[in-house]
Order: sequence, then structure tokens, then C-alpha cells
Amino acid sequence: MPLKPSFLAPFNEFVARHYGKDTGKMLIHTGVVGWILSAAAQVMAIVFNDKIPKEQKMYLVPQELADAGVNILSFYTITQGCKSVASKLVKSGKLLPKSVRGILDAKGLTDKVGKFDFNVFEDAGLSPTAIKRLEKFKSGVDVTAATIGSVLSCNIVTPIVRNEIAASRQKDLVAKMHNADTNHSSYVKPDYSYTKRPSMYDFTHNTSSLKI
Amino acid sequence: MAIIGLNSIRTFTNAASNRVVNVFPTMTVNSEKANKALHWIGKNISSPENRLILGVSALMSQPFIDLHNKKVDEDTRKVSAARTVAKIIAGTSTGVLIRYGCIKAIDAFTKFPEEITSVTKNPRLKTFFTPFEAIKDGLKDLRHYKSALGTLVSLGVMVFTNFLIDAPFTKFMTNKFVDKIHQKDKQKQAQNKEVRDAA
Repeated sequence: MPLKPSFLAPFNEFVARHYGKDTGKMLIHTGVVGWILSAAAQVMAIVFNDKIPKEQKMYLVPQELADAGVNILSFYTITQGCKSVASKLVKSGKLLPKSVRGILDAKGLTDKVGKFDFNVFEDAGLSPTAIKRLEKFKSGVDVTAATIGSVLSCNIVTPIVRNEIAASRQKDLVAKMHNADTNHSSYVKPDYSYTKRPSMYDFTHNTSSLKI
Repeated sequence: MAIIGLNSIRTFTNAASNRVVNVFPTMTVNSEKANKALHWIGKNISSPENRLILGVSALMSQPFIDLHNKKVDEDTRKVSAARTVAKIIAGTSTGVLIRYGCIKAIDAFTKFPEEITSVTKNPRLKTFFTPFEAIKDGLKDLRHYKSALGTLVSLGVMVFTNFLIDAPFTKFMTNKFVDKIHQKDKQKQAQNKEVRDAA
């Protein structure tokens, strides 16, 4: 009985074409999508929260978007950078397993190794078995690089950058509050409702930046 | 707009990586063990394992970054570190389990056409996610495809679980950790007072 593809066929083929052989690429792209969805969920949570006054929403939504921008930019730049370096090292022949290096040496291609127009998969005349072995090696190198890149960006760079931004944001708000207090000859209680200083409540109850 | 932005970043990272590659010396992986390990990583490490590695390494780095953030007071530092630990535990456990579950579910509905026989029940359902064209074009190993599709599906699921599980779980654990921190602080203060009184 001939099998008919499902109505999802175009989507299935798209995924197979783009990620069927490249796990490293999938990890980066799904990581970015994950950060975007996570940020969108946080923004929606603020927008649809009836307990947050409109003025506060005007401050919290851009703040959440700025946090998301830092997360996504840092994740994509660092992870893509690591994977790109790893892929190019293998493709240009700078990083190879012993077996493939031996073939290149035997063919007298040593002087071409490392040149950007040299692609070891296409220009070295490797046998299908050697190409398969090299593809497996490249896949391992790519996944390792993407994992190192995501650890570096998510666990080191992003938290440091986020802390810096949060601290400077807090400092600005404190300065604003101070100015508001001192610039009036007669004391008028300032309206801090939309420039609320980060408090302990924010640290314990806010759900921002939950990585999915 | 976002795609243009991502393309510009990709162009930038590619240009930067060209420069970095230039600096690297030529390297050969001689060890058979190292080559086998790389093959194994390429074959077996996918998004659930990647998320687990991210979570474990996050536990080893992020709380310490929060605890050493000198720009906020000590109490805020402790609470923020407690919240980070809670967030990592909640996010990693749900992230790994949902990714793993979705990939397993996709696996059940992505059979090769040759696996379907006349006695197979629900053949259309069992090939619901099968990429027929890609298989015709020579895709023989569906492992990477299944994990990619499973991960994409899991991202959709996690938009909801982020609110339904992660956020309340994070809040619950943060409160527990914060209570413990405050209890310890009180005990410390009481001990210090006793020492001062005794002196």
C-alpha cells in the first residue's frame, strides 16, 4: 500500500533539509527560538497581568525586551562564533583525525591545508568511506563547539552582563529618585510607580529570564 | 527584520571566525579514544543532553556570579543567588524531561516506509512525521531529524510549562531557600550577640 505524506510534509521536509545532518546548527537555532519564546512568554505575563498598573507595564515591558535582547544576542553571537570556527577548522583541514590527515599527506595536499578556498570534503578527492568518517568527526566537533559556546554565553557572559545592566539601571533609578527629592523647594511625594526600584520582592516573585 | 539582524550577526561572526581560524595551528587528533569520543558526541549528544550540560554548568557558575556581584547589598546577593539556583533546577529538570519526551514521541510517529508492513496498525500515523522526500534524496539516519523536530515541538510545549511548572516551582524553591538563608542569618546574629554579651 503506497504511503501518503501527512499535511505536515512541507514542515517535515524543511526540518530534514536544514537539520537532518547538522545537530550543532539545530542546537543554536532552537536555542535562539527558546530564548525568543521565553522572552515572549515573560512579556505576555506582564501585559496580561491585571495586578500590574499600566504605568508600570510601560516600564517593565521594555525592560523585559532589553533583557531578552541581551540574552539572544549573547547566545547567538558566541555560540554561532564557536561553531563557525570549529566548522572552518575541519573544512579547511586545520583540524582533522589522524586517518584523514594521512590521506592528505599521501596526496601531497599539505601546503593547501588551512587556505580558505580549500574544502577538504570537496577538494581532497577523499573516498566515500573517508568522507563519511570525516562527517562523523565534524559532527562531533560541531556539537562540542556549540555546547561550549552555549555554556560560555548562558552561564558566564550573560549573567555578568545582566548583573551589570541591572546594577546600572538600579543606580540610575536611585539617582532619579534622589533628584526628585532634592529639586523641590517644598516636599512633594514623588510618583515612583513607573520607575520602581528593584526590591527583594522582584528577586523572589519575578519570573524573568526563565530559560526554556 | 529579525532575520536581517541575525544574518548581519552571522556575517560578522563568520568574518571574525575567519580571523580566528587563521591564528590556529594545524592540529591532528591522533588518539583513537579522542576520535571515538567525538564520533559518540556527534551521534548521541542532542538537545536534552545539551540542556542538562547547560544546567549543571549553570549551577557551578551562576550562583557564584550572583554572590560576587558587589554592586548590590549582601542580602540581595544571597536572595538573587537562591533564586538563580531555584530557576536552574526548575528550568533544567523540565527542559530535559520535556525535550526527551517530545523526541521519544516524534520517534514513534517517524517510521521509515520500509518498516511499514501490511500488518502494521495505523500506518499513516506511524509515518506522520516521516520526511519522505528527504529519505528519497538519501537521508538514511533519521536520528538528527527526530531530535530537531522533537526539540522544536518541545519549545512549543515549554511556552506553557514555563508558566504552569517552572514559574511556580521556582517561586516555591526560592522561598524555601530564602527562609533557610534568613534562619541562618538570625542564628548567626544570635551567636554574635551571645559572644558580645559574654565579652
